[in-house]
Amino acid sequence: MSASTLTRPPRTRGSATESRRERRRRQRLQERSDTIPLKLYGVRRGTVTFLTLICALFALFTLTPIAWLAINSTKTQANLFETFGFWFARPFALFHNFSLLFQNVDGYGTYIQWLGNTALYAVLGGGGATALAAFAGYGFARFSFRGSRALFYFVIAALLVPISSITLPLYLTYAKVHLINSIWGMILPSMVSPVGVYLMRVYVEISVPRELIDAARLDGASEIKIFFRLALPLMVPGLMTVLLLSIVGVWNNYFLPLIIFSQNRLYPLTVGIGLWAQRAQNSGNAQLFPMVVIGGLVTIIPLIALFLVLQRYWRSGLLLGSIAN
Amino acid sequence: MSSTAIPVAAGRAARQRGPRKSAWVHRRDRRGLWFVVPFLVAFMLFMIAPLGYAIYTSLYTTRIIGGTAFSGAANYTQALQSHDFWSGVIRVVIYAAIQIPVMLAIAFFFATIFDLGVAKFGRLFRTIFFVPFAVPAVVGAVMWAFLLEPQFGPFTHAANAIGLHGLNFFSSSLMLPSIIVIVIWEWTGYNMVILYTALRSVPRDVVEAAILDATPLWRIVLRVKLPMVRPAIVLLVFLNVIGALQLFTEPLILYYFQPQAISLSYTPTLYIYWTAVANAQYNLAAAAAVVLGLVIVVISVGSLMFRRRRSEAR
Repeated sequence: MSASTLTRPPRTRGSATESRRERRRRQRLQERSDTIPLKLYGVRRGTVTFLTLICALFALFTLTPIAWLAINSTKTQANLFETFGFWFARPFALFHNFSLLFQNVDGYGTYIQWLGNTALYAVLGGGGATALAAFAGYGFARFSFRGSRALFYFVIAALLVPISSITLPLYLTYAKVHLINSIWGMILPSMVSPVGVYLMRVYVEISVPRELIDAARLDGASEIKIFFRLALPLMVPGLMTVLLLSIVGVWNNYFLPLIIFSQNRLYPLTVGIGLWAQRAQNSGNAQLFPMVVIGGLVTIIPLIALFLVLQRYWRSGLLLGSIAN
Repeated sequence: MSSTAIPVAAGRAARQRGPRKSAWVHRRDRRGLWFVVPFLVAFMLFMIAPLGYAIYTSLYTTRIIGGTAFSGAANYTQALQSHDFWSGVIRVVIYAAIQIPVMLAIAFFFATIFDLGVAKFGRLFRTIFFVPFAVPAVVGAVMWAFLLEPQFGPFTHAANAIGLHGLNFFSSSLMLPSIIVIVIWEWTGYNMVILYTALRSVPRDVVEAAILDATPLWRIVLRVKLPMVRPAIVLLVFLNVIGALQLFTEPLILYYFQPQAISLSYTPTLYIYWTAVANAQYNLAAAAAVVLGLVIVVISVGSLMFRRRRSEAR
């Protein structure tokens, strides 16, 4: 963490009375005043056009698969393979395909149930991870009890442990303690986020002044009260970032649910769609292909919506950037 | 505020003559442990304990006749001598050595453009580039599997149209490059956002001084800004190395679509998965997981050390 992170006020924090439009305008102005005018660099107009074009090309590369997914979710199974991939074809089967997501078409599970499972795992796992990280990050940042440093480094060392090396051990342990095919087997490990603890510690250091806590203590406030009334409101931008990262982490997790769930009513979306893809290709259930496509589209829409709503948190990259500095 | 808090605390410390901290501070700090305990309990139960159990399991061997018996390093010997396991390790190392530099170069290029403001619609492009981060790897791999499919995939058609007939993106020689493209698609935006944030925090006066010296723009970027965001780059290399070496989801999904193009030991994590799930050789899989974990720790810490030494030498 460099001095610049500390002196630069967290840009995401606005006063409560400020409207969304005012905040956006302020951010835009701030951004403009932070940027050194182009003229000073001696950049020519043609260069700007050229670089904009390159950005547009990469944007095209980024959006191509998503456009393909959106277009092809309107196609029948035959048209999916026989018509041009980047344009629509008759008949328009979007609503038919969508209705299939509510049915148990091949007897291996219903999409809508997987969607519900994923949301449940993401909300409980991500919410739990954020809560635990908020407590622990605050504890590590503002208290120096015996062994706190050693404990913190121990937690940070866990960043080194690859997720895939922890997944198989979890599976082996679950087999002993009967957590195979239990939703808690998915939710509880998702709550353990060493990265979240680290980020929250950094954020508390930046945004919760020691003096404020000491003053509240002199007024006789209990530590719990100080945390909930004083520190937590100041930690909100950091909490949102950790929440966003951990929800995405659970939403995208494939290996753990794949290995611990054998009943399709427990599957999250990733496992369900993977299963469909496998059965469509290898078991001759070609009717599943359009469902894989529309299922993929419906899977990413909630997350993209979440990102657009919460973009001021990730766009500022506040926490992500502060670990890097 | 501090003018009221500090004298009181100091006065108490003086009265009680504590060695370093006053008893009050000491008691207060001990209460801080309770904030950490919930996380630590979950951390021990769902991370440390399973790891310990996996190491324990890896030292035993289960036979159909005779049950489970201590076998020492036998599983490790088997994993270490397994050609399938090592070919997977070598493949992901090659994959990481190509994918990470290419992706970071692209991410740094765009982060620089947005930081300098030398392209129009910067905010819009930043949002677009970040979108794939919201797409689960399973869905991303499914989309690309359709796009690159050797018979009906639009990209295959496009390759035919420009004269590259018979190009098969899922042939054994093009499979790894295809996976690299998929992962670059998924992760460039995320890395770009982190680099962008780091570039924004480079003090303005440093850059202004360089401008006053009439330093050309490319030199400002490579000689002034790049060194100042080195910590961010080191962190990203480190995180990406850990991610790349446990490549799993993309090859498994592509295996569903193209079973002939991807072996069951394509990456070490796939090897572990198949050993445990399909072959029920849990002890061997546990040993392989421990070995893979160690390989990843060595390589990721190594990349950190290497970078640090090089930056110190300058």
